[in-house]
Amino acid sequence: MKLSWQIFAAALVLATPLLCPPMASAQTPSGGKIAVVVSTLNNPWFVVLSQTARQRAVDLGYDATIFDSQNDTAKEAANFDNIIAAGYQAILFNPTDANGSVANVLKAKAAGIPVFCIDREINSTNAATAQLLSDSYAGCVKLGRYFVKTVGQSGNYVELLGLVGDNNTWNRSKGFHSVVDRYPGLKMVAQQSGEFDRAKGLEVMEAMLQAHPDINAVFCGNDAMAMGAYQALVTAGKADQVKVFGFDGADDVVKLIAAGKITATGMQFPKLMARQSAEFADAYLKGRRDFPQKIPVPVELVTRENVSRFGDYGKK
Amino acid sequence: MRTARWLLPLLLLAGLCWRFPLVHFVPLKAAQQIKAAAAFDATQFAADFWISRLSPAARTAVPANVLLPAIQADPAAAKKRFSRSVGLGTDYFYFFCGTGRVVALTDDAISLACTAGSTNAEVALQTGLVFGDAIRDGTGLLNVNDYPDSQNFNDISAALDHLVETQVLPGLRQQARIGVTLSFAGCAEIDDEDSDLNPLKVIPVATRVTSPP
Repeated sequence: MKLSWQIFAAALVLATPLLCPPMASAQTPSGGKIAVVVSTLNNPWFVVLSQTARQRAVDLGYDATIFDSQNDTAKEAANFDNIIAAGYQAILFNPTDANGSVANVLKAKAAGIPVFCIDREINSTNAATAQLLSDSYAGCVKLGRYFVKTVGQSGNYVELLGLVGDNNTWNRSKGFHSVVDRYPGLKMVAQQSGEFDRAKGLEVMEAMLQAHPDINAVFCGNDAMAMGAYQALVTAGKADQVKVFGFDGADDVVKLIAAGKITATGMQFPKLMARQSAEFADAYLKGRRDFPQKIPVPVELVTRENVSRFGDYGKK
Repeated sequence: MRTARWLLPLLLLAGLCWRFPLVHFVPLKAAQQIKAAAAFDATQFAADFWISRLSPAARTAVPANVLLPAIQADPAAAKKRFSRSVGLGTDYFYFFCGTGRVVALTDDAISLACTAGSTNAEVALQTGLVFGDAIRDGTGLLNVNDYPDSQNFNDISAALDHLVETQVLPGLRQQARIGVTLSFAGCAEIDDEDSDLNPLKVIPVATRVTSPP
């Protein structure tokens, strides 16, 4: 009898957290759910972006869930269908495709759910509530100038492009070429998509090195591909001869810049964008409606000279 | 009899398909022409913008004899009053006009002393290759929200930079001599206040020799 009373007391203690409402819900200003839809989680930069957005939403008192689109617009569409059906109040959205993702945002808008784009753009100004976008073009103008300064005004280089359906791919490439193409001595001997993916970047760089063993530099549309390219150069024994330029500000690349292994990258401030998007969603759910459609977020050049000022996906 | 029963609906269906075909065949060349016609023409846009909006605005930009003393007295207050910035950026721009005497010449810049009695380079007109968004963003005349595809907005930057290089700089380089007085209008981008404020590095959109040495 004594034993069964003790068992009952222990069960009561264990069950208490289940019976009481969670603290977060008690403090929730609107009792809402926020979805974070990210293009891929197969890249540490996007993991940081999505987790920061989620954490900021949680800090603001919402239940927040991350949905991975796996760089697939069909998967992204399915995510949106599930989010709408599940009654989420807002979506923090990192799109997969500038054109292909517009329909998903419009679907959410029709369901009365505000969508805040982060980092990547959709080609519409009347679908998302606001878009926080890295100024990739201006960032790559800076990278291009540094490229000329460090590589010189003559030499051969290759370019690894990102996903061809994403505006960031072309804004980065165009910003870079707006500078580098002005120097006729700098010749791009190969250009191919590495799909913003480290493994693909490695594979493409290996093939490029086979065809063009005499290059001086590689410009990569993101840091994941820069890491892949660097790995290929190490394997080929050319890491000291070929300068690697990335874009993102990923921690592993910033560390390699400090070690003198990678030449430069563009810091995109994913945490700043992610936090701001969650704060916008919170403000929207509290009644604010006057959001600018597109908010450019600056990109800063990270080089060996200033790398000590950067780290943890932002400025120290 | 059975054939006749199917003939009428089949004819009707054939007629509908002929009138409203499910598939259109267009010659590849024609399709490319349609696509090209629908594409945004940044070069034409920049040329029109230059004449209709930029040139008139350059005449009424902030006077250098107001801006330069203001920056010297209190950079933060001058920034607040006269600068423009875009989005969450910390970089900012000045769009201003003025007159100055040429005090130095290099391959990439023409330095001017602008305030009364000054012999120091207070403004450096950039005469090398022109890159970036200073003209597009510095004037405040163009808004990213008007462009659904940011690639078009960025193409405008490149087209405006090209106009500076082809329309403004050749004449400027030809006429600039030490001691010449020039009037100018242009945009300065401030990325690093330690190096960009003194002298102000200006991408010129208009220049004119007002008096010989």
